[in-house]
Amino acid sequence: MSDNRKRSMLEQFGGSVITGINHCGEFSRFHANAIITSLQAFFIPKTYPLIWTQMLAIGVRSVPVVCITGCFVGMVLAVQAYDQLAGLGLEEHLGVLINISVVKELGPVLTAVMLAGRVGGALTAELGTMNVTEQISAVRSMGTDPIRYLVSPRILACLLLTPFLIIYADFMGIIGGYVISVLHFGINNKAYWDFSASGIEMWDISIGIIKGFFFGAAIAGVSCYKGFNCKEGAAGVGQACTEAFVGSFIFILVIDFALAVVFKGIYASLWPIRSLL
Amino acid sequence: MQKDKDTNIDTSNSLLAIKGLSKSFGDNLVLDNISLAFEKGKTTVIIGQSGCGKTVLIKHLIGLLRPSDGSVYFKGERIDDLSEHKLQKIRTNFGFLFQGGALFDSLSVYENIIFPIQQHHKIKNYEKLEEIVKTKLTMVGMDGYQGYNPAELSGGQKKRVALARAIALSPEIILYDEPTTGLDPIRSDVINELILKLQKTLNITSIVVTHDMKSAYKIADRIIMLHNGRVVVDGRPEEIKNHSYPVVQQFINGQISEKDLKTIQLSSIGEEVAKLQ
Repeated sequence: MSDNRKRSMLEQFGGSVITGINHCGEFSRFHANAIITSLQAFFIPKTYPLIWTQMLAIGVRSVPVVCITGCFVGMVLAVQAYDQLAGLGLEEHLGVLINISVVKELGPVLTAVMLAGRVGGALTAELGTMNVTEQISAVRSMGTDPIRYLVSPRILACLLLTPFLIIYADFMGIIGGYVISVLHFGINNKAYWDFSASGIEMWDISIGIIKGFFFGAAIAGVSCYKGFNCKEGAAGVGQACTEAFVGSFIFILVIDFALAVVFKGIYASLWPIRSLL
Repeated sequence: MQKDKDTNIDTSNSLLAIKGLSKSFGDNLVLDNISLAFEKGKTTVIIGQSGCGKTVLIKHLIGLLRPSDGSVYFKGERIDDLSEHKLQKIRTNFGFLFQGGALFDSLSVYENIIFPIQQHHKIKNYEKLEEIVKTKLTMVGMDGYQGYNPAELSGGQKKRVALARAIALSPEIILYDEPTTGLDPIRSDVINELILKLQKTLNITSIVVTHDMKSAYKIADRIIMLHNGRVVVDGRPEEIKNHSYPVVQQFINGQISEKDLKTIQLSSIGEEVAKLQ
């Protein structure tokens, strides 16, 4: 009896491991296919109208929400950090603290998280509904590759526009921080900008923006995969949306960590020519 | 000539053939060693109870599903082991009418019909394209609806537009997945007449999956019945009508089996709920 139970537990564990490996394999194949097809689509003018349409939905319509996020991040940082710095008599350094946090980490990451919710959810729901109503099968039945027609334009639009949205979020974060620091707390205007300019390099702004390419590709990739593999019914679409957001969020954090390590290494190796950067 | 000794299926001379086809989903065996050949210009109707594997069978014919065992041939060429890329070209010879129509929600009727044409041809003359769309919609009695969105159409209208899209590339074979399900008897008859008209005017080979016997008798040159994943009857409509096999008679006359009848009579509806109180 106990032997049977042990075997069944072992079987269950083995089954879960096999299912997990299968999912990883499917996920990797889907993304390898999506990356190759997206690279090809980039050079095929026929797909440009599809990419423009997705750019409007994914990029342009996300501008207001990204700007609001960026602005509040800057304002909150100013409110939270002012007392600590003022206690040490260093309140004029508030600008560098806010702006480096915004351009290097909070701007890119929070923009990506906001996009994972707004864009990722919409992509998964749209493709998931297309999947359960057999519209994706219809695309295949007409001799068209659904990855090329449905996934590539979304990945390219997300990949190309996320860095621009990060620039908007950074800009609004800097404005938000300035408004609270200078206009509300009365920090000297010139000192605020001088310290900010001395503490932030072009490199810091660039790495924040470069992260956007990776975040954009991850959000669109995970969301499209979840939409394509959505289970039937309203509950299936809902579950796929939740999994897409959670998956994108984890990917954003993992990519952020990996890129932080990589960029640190690159920066260290480029230290001798730092002034050129 | 390539002939299977066990099944007598001539794969090289048939337009479309399947040999020893089996399909399982996990432990569930849906199709069990099915061999069939489809004649050019004829209408074959596949009947059987809901869930017996009719839709799974026709999805194998176009490569939307891959068999667990066995093979599929189109014009003598084996297609079930081809890559998705190679299958895309072969699929342009097929039209597929999905059960719910599977029209693209985000596109208008006009855009839905030009979709397969745009995907496979370079369009230079848009006036000619409009003419083609008009001709296809006139064939299904839907001319004038070019600017409508699928959401604005009734179930019957959606199926007719989906049929116009299925014939957009003038395919040799059309696969119909329950074309009359969910329609009133008059609309069902309209679809039946359309199937007959397409076969007569364009000499299209049709394979229709249905459990609507009135429709089957009207359009079929040949009827195949599936039961428990196997072909139980294959013959002309008159042969099916007079077939002695009880399962066939029960199905074509719409009669419940004695076993199921007994179960229903013995079950005590309402008492179980009363016991809960």
